[in-house]
Formats: sequence, C-alpha cells, structure tokens
Amino acid sequence: MSKHHSIRFGRRATLGLLGAGLAAPFIRPAAAQAAWPEQTTIPDILKGSGEVRIAGFGGTMNEAQIKAYYEPFEKISGIKVRAFPGSDPTKIKAMVETGNVEWDLAQLSRGSIMNLQKRGDYFEKIDYDIIDSGVDPAYRFEYGLEMLVWAQVLAYRKDLVKGEPKGWADFWDTKKFPGERAMYGTTSGGFPEMEFALMAAGVPPDKVYPIDIDKALASYEKIKKDVIKWWDTGAVPIQLLTDREVAMTTVWNGRMAALQAAGVPAEISWSQGLSKRDAWGIPKGAKNKANAMKFVAYSTMAIPQARIAFAIPYGSVNNASNEYIPPDRLAVLPSAPDIKKQLINYNYDWWIDNREAAVSRFNKWLLS
Amino acid sequence: MTPYLLAAPLIAFMIAFYVLPVVAMLMRSVSDPSWTLQHYAALPDDVVFLKTFANTFYTSLIVTLASLLLGYPVALALVRAPRWALVILVLIMLPFWTSVLVRSYAWMVLLGRHGLFNEALIAAGMIDRPLRILNTPLATQIAMSHILLPYMILPIANALRQIDPSLLRAASGLGSPPWRTFLQVTLPLSMPGVAAGVLLVFVLALGFYITPAMVGGPREITISMLIAQRVDQLDWAYAATLSAVLLATALAIIGAFYRLPGVGNAFRMNAR
Repeated sequence: MSKHHSIRFGRRATLGLLGAGLAAPFIRPAAAQAAWPEQTTIPDILKGSGEVRIAGFGGTMNEAQIKAYYEPFEKISGIKVRAFPGSDPTKIKAMVETGNVEWDLAQLSRGSIMNLQKRGDYFEKIDYDIIDSGVDPAYRFEYGLEMLVWAQVLAYRKDLVKGEPKGWADFWDTKKFPGERAMYGTTSGGFPEMEFALMAAGVPPDKVYPIDIDKALASYEKIKKDVIKWWDTGAVPIQLLTDREVAMTTVWNGRMAALQAAGVPAEISWSQGLSKRDAWGIPKGAKNKANAMKFVAYSTMAIPQARIAFAIPYGSVNNASNEYIPPDRLAVLPSAPDIKKQLINYNYDWWIDNREAAVSRFNKWLLS
Repeated sequence: MTPYLLAAPLIAFMIAFYVLPVVAMLMRSVSDPSWTLQHYAALPDDVVFLKTFANTFYTSLIVTLASLLLGYPVALALVRAPRWALVILVLIMLPFWTSVLVRSYAWMVLLGRHGLFNEALIAAGMIDRPLRILNTPLATQIAMSHILLPYMILPIANALRQIDPSLLRAASGLGSPPWRTFLQVTLPLSMPGVAAGVLLVFVLALGFYITPAMVGGPREITISMLIAQRVDQLDWAYAATLSAVLLATALAIIGAFYRLPGVGNAFRMNAR
C-alpha cells in the first residue's frame, strides 16, 4: 500500500546505513598498529573450486569480514566468496520453503537458527570432522557453529554521569546516577533484557537462568519511567548517546568503538554484561553446501578468528586466537579473559524455549 | 477494447508480482497450521493488539487533522498566488522526493534535547531547560504530518483549481465579503479534494513504521511494528492476520470515502 510498510529495520542490517560513516575511521588505526597474522597453509580438505554465497549484515561488519577471512579464503582455497547483506532468518524460511535458496551460508545466531529449526528442517548439520580443534565446545551445536563473540553491555556518557556505574543496580539507580535511560526492546523482534532486570533486583549472575518473568517485569517497573526509548537496532543507542538524549543505555559493544573514535566521551561498563554470539548456519538445500562447510571450518580457525578482532572489536570462538592479538587490542574484546569473567553467558536455550511467552508478557507490560 | 490492451502488461505484472504474493501471505492467516479462524477469534482478547491498533488509529487521526489544518492554506496559496506557485510547489515537492529515513533523521536533529529547536528557544530566553519533544508521541505526530503534507495539499489544490473563477466573481459582485465567499463557495466546492487528501493521509498513516520507531516515544508500537515483530518471531500466521485486519480497515475507509460525492473525481488530474 505504501512504501512505509515494507521497510523494516533488520537486527543489524541498518549498520551499513547508519553506522558506516561513523565507523569507518576506527578500522584503519587498528590495522596500522600491528601486522595482521596470516594463515599460510590450510588442510587440503578445505580447498576446492566454484563459489560460496555468504549472507552477512553489510556495512562495517562486511568490510571487516572481507579483510579478515573472505579475501584470504579465496586466495588459499580457490573458492570464490560472494557476500550479500541483509542476513535474516525470515528470508531463509521463505527461501527454503519456496526451494529457491539464494545463500549457501548465513550469519545468524544460535537462537534464530534453532527457533527456525524447531518449526521444520531449515538448516544443514555442521560437519564437525573438519572443524578446527581449537573451537571451544561451548560454541558448537548441531545446526550451526558460533563464529563471533560480542557483548550487550552498559554504556554511559562520562560528561553526564558522575562516577562509574557498575552493574544493573547502578543502571536502575536514577538517584545516584540521574539521567535518562534506553534499553533493548521488542519493537521489531528484539528480546527484552530480562537478565539485566533480574540482576538489578539483586539476583546473582549465576542464578539469572531460568528467568523468572514476573520478577523481571516487577524490576522493569522501577525503571520504566526513565527509559525514553526501547531500541531495536544497534544504531539507535549510539545515536542517543551521541545526541545526549540519554546518560546511560545498553549497547552492542562493537558499536562503541566507532562512537569513541568519533570523540564522544562515552564508556563501556562490562560488569554483568551479556556475552552473545553470532553463528554460521547453512540453509537446507544450499547449492554450494560443501564449499560453505569448508568456509565455516576456515573462518573459525585461530588466525582468521584473530583477524576479525583486528578490524572490529568482537571476540573469537577459537581458544588459540588470543595469542595472535596484541594485548592492547585484546583489552577491548569481549573474549579477553579479564572481560569475559565479568560477563554472563547468554542462554540461547532458555530463550529458544521461552521467547514467545517472554516477548508477549513484555509487550503487554510495556503497553499497560 | 484498446484501453484494456494498453493496461494489460501492467495488470499482468501486478497480478503476478503483487496480488498473488499478497494473497498467498494473507492466506496464512486462515491456513496456518491448518484451516482455522482461530487467529481472528483470538484478536478481541489480545490486549497488545487492541492497544496497538487504537494507538495507530489515534496517531493517524491526529496526523490527518494536523496536515489538513496546515495543508489547506498552502493549497489555497498555491492556486491563488500564481506568482509564487512554482516556489511553493518546489517547497512541497523537495521533501516529498527525499527518503522517509532521511526526513525522520532531520526531525531528530531539529527536535532533540540539544537540537536546533530547543537551542533556539533557550537562546531566545523562552525556556530554561530543553523540552522533551524527541522520543515522544508528539514527535511522531509532527514528523508524520510533515511527511504526509504533500498528500493533503495536492488533491486540495487540484480541487481548488477546478472551481470556476466566475463563481467567485459572482459572489463578490453580489456583495459577499471574501470570508463569506470562502465559507459558502470555495470551501464547499473544495470538499472533494479535502476528502481525497484526508483519505490518502489517513490510510498512509495507518501503515507507518520507520518514523514512529525513530522519533516516537517508548510505548509507541504501531500495527506495522507489531506485524514486523511477529514476522521476526516466525509467527507468520499471526502477522498475516494483523496484515489482513490492517488491509481490511484501509479498504473499508477507502470504500466509505468513495461513496462521498465527488471524491472519485478529485483523484483525476485536469478533470475539467
């Protein structure tokens, strides 16, 4: 009916649109500081011919991936990589159902892969025989392999907040730390940060799961009037911090580097953040399934995983990667030992089972 | 026969690439997981749906009223001041050709806590602390009214242009003061344009997504956002049900308006 119907914010699809200009400067200094490690040999089983069509999120992430592992993979394996923006589980559902699978591999999350897999057969199984042994078992699952570690954390403006907020009790405490807040909402398919609400109410980090939805909503009630925006795409909290619309917000950590590089006095507080992951999934019936599997194996090897951290502040799933990353770079990654221990692991399994109930309860609460 | 032949490629294109996919999607509301009306039956008890629908309707109503009040004088100026017509037309059309995303961003810059509007008011000494406009329903209403204004102005201007100037001369020749000529001649004769503008703006406003998401308040969920949310949750049957309700609402409003005298004409260009 009108074009306004059809335009949707993808989870991070708008990254290119909204963040590219801001983000571009921070890729270069990191690259200049230290030489990138090179993967000089690969097992013969990862070599091949033809192409692999990979759906990612476009923008800065795509630029990082081209340099970190698309181009090196093309050179060393003989398989051509074609990158597409706009990865989205709903598109994979439509592709597989219509038998017109346009991607061989997609960047998703364990949650979106398993949510789809619950409703039918939408993904190929991962061939773990060719996966690098350094990939931590925690990141492996039947229908996908996690390949990027990031964090959803507290961020604040140093010029608007006096002192250092640490953890969610501080985020909730608008007397001690006055100023508006923003949090991740459900507008277009997001997940409420019920973990944070629980920790704000005093639940210890290791007791957050299984989430007590009633208790989380009761805790949310205390911050509701101070939350001026429930964001649903990563560019929004960054914009709100830049424009001084909020003093404190939750963010995806990767976005903060761009903001800081642009000179905004904003800081991440890692304490009690959520460690989340992106995962590779191979859509069922993908034409170049074998090439996709080879690429999954290559991109999760220690060096390609380390290279991504040179370009964008996201962590690695390979236990051997950290030795290839200079200490000053490691210090800003969610997979750095000092940071990792402050984060809690996002429990995809709980959310796969309870997403609908949690989101619909949250919606009802928000509108009441 | 020839007109139909000329239109045939477009009609075939629309059926293949628009009607069929839309019907296929809407069918999910009654065929997923099996033939059922349960998705529709559940709506009256769905608090989130009811509140969202009411909010969308209310916002559309305010936006329609605002663009009518702002747009009518502009349309009048467009027709009555031919010397300025080109300038006015360019001023209307330039934003019209700019993407909704860009215009919503522009409103963020203007209405923000440290935006131009607040800074100007503070500099003028009218307020001490910045007003919260951005991230409230008011911001949505302002930005949407701006985006939809051309849809109001153009049909009204078209209707005004079709008014026979001799009628106005006759009115003033018979001693009618200008305000009375306006109320008794111009306004009634422009009503088909007003109805067309109101219809266009209201129906388009029902489907807004980006603008409320970007500049709106924390509790502003529109029906389109709810549809997107359900699509993302892979609950396509429910998304299809909501889409069907939205489509039916829009069609019912369009149907009702077309029954008003003269509205059909107002969409025709150069009807005279």
